[in-house]
Amino acid sequence: MAQRPQKRLFSRKKVCRFCTDKEMSIDYKDVKTLRNFVSERGKIIPRRIVGTCASHQRQLCEAIKRARHIALLPYSGNIQG
Amino acid sequence: MRRYETIYILRPTLNEEEINTVVEKAQETITSNNGKIIELDRWGMRKLAYQIKKESQGFYIFCDYSAIPEAVTEMERRFRIDDAVLRYMTVKTADVITDEEIIEATARIADKQVVEEETEESAAGEKQPVQQTPSTSEKSEEVEKSEEA
Repeated sequence: MAQRPQKRLFSRKKVCRFCTDKEMSIDYKDVKTLRNFVSERGKIIPRRIVGTCASHQRQLCEAIKRARHIALLPYSGNIQG
Repeated sequence: MRRYETIYILRPTLNEEEINTVVEKAQETITSNNGKIIELDRWGMRKLAYQIKKESQGFYIFCDYSAIPEAVTEMERRFRIDDAVLRYMTVKTADVITDEEIIEATARIADKQVVEEETEESAAGEKQPVQQTPSTSEKSEEVEKSEEA
């Protein structure tokens, strides 16, 4: 029997950034860290790409939505300034 | 008592007096209902991520306080009526807050502000060895005065 080609060639184990760094906190006022978790278009990057754990992704999602409401982050479009 | 924090955005066209009146009114509604202000921070003029009511800039004000829910709804009702307020958002940060915790929190924030001012002063002093009042300290004095008034 021929062996199956290995699918996971370049996959790296992603670790939740907030679990590894305990000092990092999720706050809707902290735009700098939130910017790391939205795409250029202003969309929230999914968990399978950024690798945050479920509970932190939920908190992050809430924080980004709050930041959008008070116009710290855009709902859509490019991030400027 | 619950602990809340509110951010509200004012129109950029307002002058200092008008901003002060809006802030004072908001604080009155909290304090008249036995609430206490823990922190009031003027972030100042910022660019908005998108236009609100055809404005692309806004004056941000952040307020951390303890209050009863009725006071918050009343304050938000006034924000909705007031044309100067572009946007507001209130977040509940704690369900219960005791008086001791309020005092502790205000003290902690006051300490932080003192440290920040010191670092600012030392940085300004290094840049300008000649004893001239740097613009940062002047600004902070102005803010203090306006809060007293």
